[in-house]
Amino acid sequence: MIRKVLFATLASMALTISAARAEDTIVWWDFLSGGDGVRMKTMLDEFNKEHAGKVKIDATTLEWGVPFYTKVQTAAATGQGPDIMTYHESRMPLGVSEGVVSPLTPEELSAAGIKPSDFSPANWKAAQGPDGKQYGVPLDIHSIILYYNKDLLKKAGLLGDDGKPKGLDGAANFDSALAKLTANGVVGLSTPTADNATMWRIFYTLLNQQDGQFLKDGKFLDGDNLDKATTAIAEMQKWVKSGGTPAKTEYPASIALFTSGKAAMHINGVWEVPTMVDLAKKGQLFDWGAIQIPTFYAHPATWADSHSFAIPNRQGNPVDPAKRKLVLDAIHWFNEHSLEWAGGGHVPAYLPVQESAAFKALKPNSDYASLAKTAVFDPVSVLAGVASPVYDAAGNYVMPAMNGEMAPADAAKQMRDDLQGQAK
Amino acid sequence: MLRSKRTEILAASMLMAPFAVTYGVLFIYPTIKMAQLSMTNAPLIGPGKWVGFDNYFRLASDRLFSVAIWNTLYFVILSVIPSTLIGLLVALGVNRLKGWLQSVVLAAFFLPYVLPVSVVFRIWQWMCDKDFGIAQHVIQLFNDGQRLSIFRTIPLFMPAVAVVTIWWLIGFNVLLFIAGLRNISSEIYEAAQLDGAGRWTQFRRITWPLIWPVTVLVFTIQMILQLKIFDQVYLFSQGGRIDTTIVMVQYILKQAFQMNKGGLAAAASMVLFVLIAALSVLQFQLLRARGER
Repeated sequence: MIRKVLFATLASMALTISAARAEDTIVWWDFLSGGDGVRMKTMLDEFNKEHAGKVKIDATTLEWGVPFYTKVQTAAATGQGPDIMTYHESRMPLGVSEGVVSPLTPEELSAAGIKPSDFSPANWKAAQGPDGKQYGVPLDIHSIILYYNKDLLKKAGLLGDDGKPKGLDGAANFDSALAKLTANGVVGLSTPTADNATMWRIFYTLLNQQDGQFLKDGKFLDGDNLDKATTAIAEMQKWVKSGGTPAKTEYPASIALFTSGKAAMHINGVWEVPTMVDLAKKGQLFDWGAIQIPTFYAHPATWADSHSFAIPNRQGNPVDPAKRKLVLDAIHWFNEHSLEWAGGGHVPAYLPVQESAAFKALKPNSDYASLAKTAVFDPVSVLAGVASPVYDAAGNYVMPAMNGEMAPADAAKQMRDDLQGQAK
Repeated sequence: MLRSKRTEILAASMLMAPFAVTYGVLFIYPTIKMAQLSMTNAPLIGPGKWVGFDNYFRLASDRLFSVAIWNTLYFVILSVIPSTLIGLLVALGVNRLKGWLQSVVLAAFFLPYVLPVSVVFRIWQWMCDKDFGIAQHVIQLFNDGQRLSIFRTIPLFMPAVAVVTIWWLIGFNVLLFIAGLRNISSEIYEAAQLDGAGRWTQFRRITWPLIWPVTVLVFTIQMILQLKIFDQVYLFSQGGRIDTTIVMVQYILKQAFQMNKGGLAAAASMVLFVLIAALSVLQFQLLRARGER
């Protein structure tokens, strides 16, 4: 009798243990709270369904920017935190110097099927540290684009026969286009003029369109780069001063101005494409389109950054090798399925998907995918990247200048001095 | 049962021991370690080399640090005195009410205190949003019909954050004042009324002196609390001119978590610690001296 009970207990224990062991959990942190975050949630559900009983991703979305990165830093330092996280490539130098990210060995990468040749060389390199080790695997390349309201542009005579805007290239042309729209009683361009990240992206775009360099040989805005920076900021200030762009608009309000039909154009990241697509599907949006940012100066260029996956460097409680293997396998899965992520407006970093016919045919991405050819990434510096001193400087100097509170020349000079002073 | 002095001392030590141990481990020890850290050039995590007072000299020459100190003191002036006085006024008003009306009004004033700071931030940010906020209809009346982004207009930033903070935390002050007011016997007021004292005289001669200890307490608590201001200023300024409105705890955060300078951040923390201690002792002495007149 006792033997039977003992055997039954052991058997049920064994079953429970094996059942508990059957499904591994990957703890995932991301900051994808924009329109694209909805797409990521769909992908996560798909992953969990496909791997049910084997692997489950337990995902949490935290607030983008400074809150995310400080949380990751403190968590890693105390041995807590996730098994996998999203990480901006622009912030890799800072992340590596903080010791927050864990190096990925070539062996474990190839075991998961992740090959450097599947990514563009610049994209793959941007996830490396100064020691040449690989700290992240790219997921996408994302940028800013110009959303436009076809009806309002048509009324101002700014819409070509192909349904794309015309007469916007060249700074002077863009300014007169804004004037035409304002004359029609419409907001010409709505953009988050109270948001430092947007200030940085537009400024960096305009600077690079003049062949300007933000950081070169350890010097910020050196030589005639300072004049080019002043030109860029002055142009941004002109949009607000002329009344073409509302000053001090918060991020959600700037999108609402566009989607409610009050603004003819909207400059924002590709991650808001799903917002537009979903509204249009519900029949709540006008005829809209999106193109690459117009060329204001010498040649086209657009700011771009890249989301990558990284494994945190948890002090005293590292992610164990078996879990790392599962994480890297998952990363590979997400890369292979990144066409769905492209539905979030991004350009997939995984070349087999980026060069596929399916992506080339995807709308509206194909309308602006040309930006990838002339995309410019953030300077490589521990002071640059999301939630870095460079982004803060954009809020402290470019933002007040654009909103008319500071002279463009002063803003450029102070930004240069501030960052150069922190470079010691 | 006779108790010897030794037994008394032993009993007292045993009862105090848990508190003393906790206090030592959670407060004394970390403070000593932080003072040590402020003399090194350590990053956020890990050890560093001894550099003596170098961090303190750096702070002295950092313009941003002096901006942080001034902003913190400015905020304290804007929020501590008004919130104390408004708390007293509200308590006086609520004390006059009776029954269920008093409970309802008291609950209404206390309700914001229950909210976490991020909710308070969202409510006020959305209400005051320049393009879609409902408060803009009121603001337009005072601004020539023009909409105004309150939190992005530098001269208005600190006063606006002070208003939000007072709205949020007033319930606590009201509660303390009501407790103090209820301790004043109504017979004193009756006697004063018999002698022909008006409302204002009653307040000046009876209420104000008798409630003085509570006023000092509320003032001290609020001052210590607001010297550590961070959440509201950080939330309302993010995305914009954070360096212009930076406060001390925000400066410490920047040095520790963004610039990865643990030693420098520890030095700034020590300065804040000494500042709070000095101001608290100073104002407590001043106010107590006045009260004992």
